Amino acid sequence: MKEPTGYEKLGYVPEIAHVLKAVPMTEQEIFLDLRLPGKTELGHAPGQFVQVSLMGIGEVPISICSSPTRGDTFQLCIREAGTVTHGLHRIARYAQLGIRGPFGKGFPLAELFGRDLVLVAGGLGIAPLRSLITYILDRREDFGRLIVIYGGKNPRTLLFKEDLADWDKRSDVELIVTVDRGDETWQGRTGVATEPLAELDLQAVNTRAVVIGPPVLYRFAAMALFEHGLTPETIFFSLERNFHCGIGKCGHCQLNDLYVCQDGPVFRLARLLDRIEAVEAWAPEEDQDR
Amino acid sequence: MTATHLISEDAFASLLDRLIQDMPVMGPVERRDQPGFYRFDRLEKTADLQVAYTTTTIPPKKFFFPPVDEMFTFDQSGPLHIEEQAEGSPFVLVGVHPCDLAAIEALDAAYAFPPADMRWIRRRKQAVIIGMECRPDDYCFCTSLGTADARAPADLFLTPLDEGYLAEVHSPMGSVLLSDTAARQATKNDRKAAEQVLQRKIEAVTARLTTSVSQLADILEYGGLTAVWRETAERCYSCGSCNITCPTCFCFSIEDTLDADLSGGQRQRSWDACQLLDFARVAGGHNFRGDRWQRVRHRWHRKFLYLYRRFGRPYCTGCGRCSRACTADINIVDITNRLVAHFQQEHKP
Repeated sequence: MKEPTGYEKLGYVPEIAHVLKAVPMTEQEIFLDLRLPGKTELGHAPGQFVQVSLMGIGEVPISICSSPTRGDTFQLCIREAGTVTHGLHRIARYAQLGIRGPFGKGFPLAELFGRDLVLVAGGLGIAPLRSLITYILDRREDFGRLIVIYGGKNPRTLLFKEDLADWDKRSDVELIVTVDRGDETWQGRTGVATEPLAELDLQAVNTRAVVIGPPVLYRFAAMALFEHGLTPETIFFSLERNFHCGIGKCGHCQLNDLYVCQDGPVFRLARLLDRIEAVEAWAPEEDQDR
Repeated sequence: MTATHLISEDAFASLLDRLIQDMPVMGPVERRDQPGFYRFDRLEKTADLQVAYTTTTIPPKKFFFPPVDEMFTFDQSGPLHIEEQAEGSPFVLVGVHPCDLAAIEALDAAYAFPPADMRWIRRRKQAVIIGMECRPDDYCFCTSLGTADARAPADLFLTPLDEGYLAEVHSPMGSVLLSDTAARQATKNDRKAAEQVLQRKIEAVTARLTTSVSQLADILEYGGLTAVWRETAERCYSCGSCNITCPTCFCFSIEDTLDADLSGGQRQRSWDACQLLDFARVAGGHNFRGDRWQRVRHRWHRKFLYLYRRFGRPYCTGCGRCSRACTADINIVDITNRLVAHFQQEHKP
């Protein structure tokens, strides 16, 4: 057998990263800027995730929200949802935490090159999508139209407000932000993310779409994209599962025969359509007779 | 052809004596808490070895993948310090039945699939394995899985005969084991006697799948079996005993424990079970197999479809442990045959 390299060599031992910035973004999410020892680059691709750990509390999978084109730090946007993320929300600058990864297959960059892109995010889905958007903006001439649709519950839950303002100013980004319910200050759109998606004028042949969001978003976004002439071959989903090991062994993330941590988390929709446990692609109950 | 030798019981006993002095030797012993039941444990002396055992409650995978595997310790009283825990030292595993040998080989394939799990691989490299012919009971169905005469990855395989053991050498380590042991070349008659032992065993295995493993995969893939999944789930308690006793189940979870001083502790992985409610639940609360019948189906699909397609072998070796351990008396052979019958009923010509 060949000598182990990469995370085979590291196994389950994390590297120790330093927190350069820890900034609360909303009531539920915190933004972390991290650096590995010796300013080693994480070496990730947009769409991959890392396992983040606090010693004595545990380990959780988190999407990387920064682009590898942006130097020797990497960034995470973490929602408080359990004990580890509770701890991560109370972490201070200069603190240390464990990092394993990056894991999985990110967005299909080679296929996205030169094409018009429709990127749809619901809620926290904007975090992994930001890694791709930033990557595209850093190599803008390599891509066609860039359409970003981001749906949130209400204005207070919107993430990356500074980035949104920057993207909104650019003439080469078509940004549409919508919230389910506005408030007295909200000047933008209200309604679900699939509504602006239906209004787009797209050249389906040269377009690729990426959808990341809560389970309910995927199917409705795909249906709207089908109306535009996109197909299961030209739509990509990034999925969330319960990742423990990251290397396709522990079994928690299994989606039928696929290990989402290694075979995904980004999948071509066509690959999910014949898999019943892809509830993002299938209606959960009636289609389960397999 | 495999080299075969005949060693007497005394010669085998002195081989074990020598091994026990050199390094830990693990083998089947009778459980003191439950006479008539067996476990793989460290042999203190050769006489502890139970040659004629039926099966053990927990399979020998525990030596390569401990139920709780301490992966590293940490100390954060000063700057965070992490120390990886080594995987132990060389040892001998003796008395492994063909179904359990096949299971170790299956897990070798799964854990070596890139990216490899080095903790399993390093522990496996430290082990010398001596296999042993078995005596089936009513739960065994190895003949339906093609594992009745499995040998790999044993270094040496023993078949008890009237005048000792027929020893098949299956690796260079196997010959090393025999190099200081009084043994003679096996004769044609010795080999024939061993074949008869195997033949009698095969005849004694009465539980049978009514289809081949490749057809079973096709049937599961075709689907339409929800009625059987639901009916099985009606009886299942989702206790996970089937997973824990399975020699080819290899799922785990990773968690931390913290010392009383709140600065030191360890990260460990421990056996997990896909039948437990929380197994596929994500932080946001969605459970991707929240219904019991979905978890039951997942277990069959994983054993006979997904991993079969991925690695070219079923992840079941016919050991019958899941059926023996089931708190609801769900028998893997019965349910599988019911799936096949249901499929045939639905597809009558």
